[in-house]
Amino acid sequence: MTHLLSIVFCVMAFAFLAVSMDRHQMTVFGRALRAGQSRGFRIAGWCGLALALRFIVGNEGWALGLVAYSGCTSLAAGLVYGGLIAYERFSTA
Amino acid sequence: MKRARDPEPKARGIRQSMSDLHTWAGLLAGWILYAMFLTGTVSYFKDETSQWMRPEQPHQRDMPDAARVAQRVTATLGTIAAGSSQWSFDLPDERTSVIGSFWRTPGAAAGKRTFESASFDPVTGQRTSARETLGGEFFYRFHFQFFYMPVLWGRWLAGLCAMFMLVAIVSGVITHKKIFADFFTFRWGKGQRSWLDAHNALSVFGLPFHAMITYTGLVTLMTMYMPWGAQTAFRTPAEREAMTSQLSAFIQPGKPSGQKAGLAPVDAMVREAQARWGRDKVGRVTITNPGDTTARVAVSRGEASRVSMSPQYMLFDGVTGKLIDVKDSVGGAAETRGVLYALHLGRFSDLQLRWLYFIVSLAGTAMVGTGLVMWTVKRRQKLPDPARPHLGFWLVERLNIASIAGLSVAMTSFLWANRLLPLGVAARDNAEINVFFAVWGATLLHAFVRPAKRAWIESLWLATALLAFLPVLNALTTDRPLWRSIEQGDWVFAGFDLMMWAFAALHAALALRVARHRPCVKPAGKRAGARATMPEREKESA
Repeated sequence: MTHLLSIVFCVMAFAFLAVSMDRHQMTVFGRALRAGQSRGFRIAGWCGLALALRFIVGNEGWALGLVAYSGCTSLAAGLVYGGLIAYERFSTA
Repeated sequence: MKRARDPEPKARGIRQSMSDLHTWAGLLAGWILYAMFLTGTVSYFKDETSQWMRPEQPHQRDMPDAARVAQRVTATLGTIAAGSSQWSFDLPDERTSVIGSFWRTPGAAAGKRTFESASFDPVTGQRTSARETLGGEFFYRFHFQFFYMPVLWGRWLAGLCAMFMLVAIVSGVITHKKIFADFFTFRWGKGQRSWLDAHNALSVFGLPFHAMITYTGLVTLMTMYMPWGAQTAFRTPAEREAMTSQLSAFIQPGKPSGQKAGLAPVDAMVREAQARWGRDKVGRVTITNPGDTTARVAVSRGEASRVSMSPQYMLFDGVTGKLIDVKDSVGGAAETRGVLYALHLGRFSDLQLRWLYFIVSLAGTAMVGTGLVMWTVKRRQKLPDPARPHLGFWLVERLNIASIAGLSVAMTSFLWANRLLPLGVAARDNAEINVFFAVWGATLLHAFVRPAKRAWIESLWLATALLAFLPVLNALTTDRPLWRSIEQGDWVFAGFDLMMWAFAALHAALALRVARHRPCVKPAGKRAGARATMPEREKESA
């Protein structure tokens, strides 16, 4: 359960980080966001990653927590990546 | 100052040099690294694989009590390994169905470390009646020492390749300058560009893991690769022994007295360890000089839920059964090694964490695979005549096919051999392994004689078929088909069968993409002529 929640946290965080980037704003919104909005997403993304770390270390301790966090971030980044590819393919098809 | 005036040899930037280093370090070790990565990845489920490969050993609903199992196994060893100076066996855990054990060969020439091994049934304490197989242990051992060669050579080769991998990782990070700007970038259908994006994503997302696994892989065998520091610092046998005790719970036999004495009950010692660490947290029992007055019993702590492989054990007098010593901690340097070692093996993981290990490690395998394929994708465009590439290109392409698609075929064949080889075959465990290598060799021959694109497609479809029909074969040859496993809640067997279908789907998707691939035709350029005549043998898949 801890892992699942952390992955959800990390997926949201990486999704925020992705939409803070110009290239992916074009994919998702069809236009570039204002600089302030991009910055907002970027801050939200990094805060999300920090919160996920806090959450998982709080539940499992530093030793196991850090290992699990590394796995969760890798998997979450991959999921967001796959999601962006799928979104782009289906929205342009 | 000659250099400054000469406009021709422009100083190459660090990125360019690192890029070349990355390319060649990756290519030279790439085929072995791919095999190491994939066999290592499946080794995270080594115990489950072993269970599947011993279908006669029934599904355990409840874990047997470690203390009782220890007593039974000790009794058996007393008859089949009498006169041995050292016995060692695992205690049951929820992932294993048999008790692995090994002992020093009695009467072996002095100074020679020869061991015999056996698997025991935890319920009877006797040798298991399940089919003779190395199980998942084969992939695990192949991962760092290969086969058909002396173990030491294999480990040196693995270390050399791991060092190449470390070089490839560091140079790769330097080469990939836009590591954050391109973090989520994938450009679909752009040939080499797409391959590069995929390779980058697979590398960057798992970068902490890839760097950790490569470095810690070297650490696991560091006393073999780099013995000189210890040799210089520790000169006397006593000092050496002190160092060994910091690294391993595998106590060495002392000089036997020659006077016979019965072994105290081992179950009582295991109970004491259970009281200290928890019922299911006891890992292994090692007994030295059993039957002698100098007998010692070490009961070591299990690997679950502690991120360290440092030895922790309780040492008992084997005759009186009294606790002599408790080893709870090691020095800072040894503990650092213990943690790094544990990170590599991931045996502390619960099921979810194990899956994370598996998935990220699989991404690492794909990272090596995409890197290998990219070498050919990048160079094919520059070939004067892609229909007749030069020998180096031809060789790399064929080796790629055999080492990527061929390995899937070979690994699945190993599982087929486990179900199909007659039970009475002599040295059956070795026969399974011979099938693995024979099939792998055959896929290489196949790749040599077929056109490259056909070879990719055929190997991938063959792997798909073998994977997809494996659960069917299991249903036909054992009494543990998928529906019964699900009904009985045996998630090791059910999960194994389902994973075979998942891998079959993956291979089918790859085969379809290769088959559908048409080399993209770029608008007229200087290579347009060559491209137009390029036969459809180019291999590019997602």
